[in-house]
Amino acid sequence: MGRASDLAAALDSGGLTSAAPTEQAFTGAADSRWVHPAHLVAAARAAKDAGFFYESMTCVDRLDPHGVFELVTTFSTYEEPGSRLALRTWIPKDAEAPSLTPVFGIAEWNEREAWEFFGLRFAGHPNLTWLLLPEDTEFRPLLKSFTAPPPSQFDDSLNTPAPAPADDAQHAQHG
Amino acid sequence: MTLSTPSTADPTPPLDTYTLNMGPQHPSTHGVLRLKLTLRGERVVAVEPVIGYSHRAHEKMAENRTYAQFLPNTSRQDYLSGLIYNLAWVEAVEKMAGIEVPERALVARVILAEFNRISSHLLWVGAFLADLGAFTPFLYTFDDREAILGLLETVTGSRLTYCTGRFGGLSKDLDDDFPRRAREVVAKLKARWPELVGLIQDNVIFRQRTEGVGRMTIEQCRRWGVTGPVLRASGVPYDIRKMEPYGAYPRFEFDIPTRTEGDVFARYLVRIAEMEQSVRIIEQALDALPAGPILAAGSLGVKKRLKPPAGTYYSAAESARGAYGIVIVSEGGTEPYRAKFRTPSYANLAALQEMMPGTMVADAVAVLGSLDVVLPEIDR
Repeated sequence: MGRASDLAAALDSGGLTSAAPTEQAFTGAADSRWVHPAHLVAAARAAKDAGFFYESMTCVDRLDPHGVFELVTTFSTYEEPGSRLALRTWIPKDAEAPSLTPVFGIAEWNEREAWEFFGLRFAGHPNLTWLLLPEDTEFRPLLKSFTAPPPSQFDDSLNTPAPAPADDAQHAQHG
Repeated sequence: MTLSTPSTADPTPPLDTYTLNMGPQHPSTHGVLRLKLTLRGERVVAVEPVIGYSHRAHEKMAENRTYAQFLPNTSRQDYLSGLIYNLAWVEAVEKMAGIEVPERALVARVILAEFNRISSHLLWVGAFLADLGAFTPFLYTFDDREAILGLLETVTGSRLTYCTGRFGGLSKDLDDDFPRRAREVVAKLKARWPELVGLIQDNVIFRQRTEGVGRMTIEQCRRWGVTGPVLRASGVPYDIRKMEPYGAYPRFEFDIPTRTEGDVFARYLVRIAEMEQSVRIIEQALDALPAGPILAAGSLGVKKRLKPPAGTYYSAAESARGAYGIVIVSEGGTEPYRAKFRTPSYANLAALQEMMPGTMVADAVAVLGSLDVVLPEIDR
């Protein structure tokens, strides 16, 4: 029994975990649990109180066929070797995910990234805006349904009209 | 009249805060980072890092190519410890697909990765001192780094964006002369260090600009998920090579250098000590380098169309900047369904928001430099 398993057991007894909606396993952590979105903040707080740090968060597009986004959040400790705990949550397509920013500072950037790349909104996020993509990007590039926009959307010089031929003729006259 | 404290009867309102943009082309931001500094006088009140200038969508690219086709992308995330990133991807996929790696390849990977770590730290020392206004150390460290790049080039064919990892081993075997050349480089490094350290460490300007600046406590590190030398300078011996041992690391003896001060100077000391530990690992690995194949037998059949079983996988490695994590979601196909990279500089830079307020604006450069951020790794 390590700290990750202890924490997982504490989450179980606190009623914060739920049954797995899919059989796909998580490999590379000491333990992993499924958490209902409504319990995610409480579970993260429990992890923080147990001395864990917020290691990573991965958003996965599972809209087809499940109609959800999967959030995989991993926590780990500085002290115990191999103490990673993965919490997995399914957020229904049009629902908002709970923000963990009040619990862990680094969650702010991870959630902004999930929003700009997937369009997943986070309830209670203080500054849900673009992090890596250009401000005002309208497309969601990590969605499976994404198709690349035309190059003109990235390069303003492609949008400026070419100089009219009449201008050239004028220059020639002056010369 | 004397220039004393302004009297309360002064009719002009006190100047409150103002904003200063540092970057994205400021020389000390090492790449393209913009810091929005909120200042009160000379003191930093708040800082907001603005990132994304070198975003290349590596995670999207990973979804559109096979596991092997993604190999060249790996070292382009962190171009200073690219070899470690390259091997981390290879090891992650090997774990997913259950590929055995020959002994010789495991030990060779450790040697190459540790040389890469030293070259990354050497570049940091030179560039960091240059940020602080000292030019000479840069010449020393680049001379040493050049020897390492030359050595790695003879084995991998590249000097910066390495792509020598293959699922099941390495693309090219170490030649018979390699151990001799490696020992020569090690001897050069060891001979140079006392001189380099003497040049830097006892310099009074360097000490005054780094000691007690940009302090981070363990609790603050935990809030942001800080890892690597920055965390170890705050007193936590957290290193993936010990916490989640991978490859051949468990069979070599080395220490995790730590300091307790948590300031910029401590981060410098940790990195210097880490280079010495890397040399210690390299010497043991050169002695223990076994004969045999460098690539798993018959792995040509495994390599091109790998289909790891469906599932979500996490694999970690210690880069020169901290804990690097690779999350791969497989649906059983030839391409990853989703790949996510947890890069150490990402968390370390975000922690700047807590580290920098309260320092003088002149120290901002020292604090930022001490993190050793690589922006392409953050932006991915």
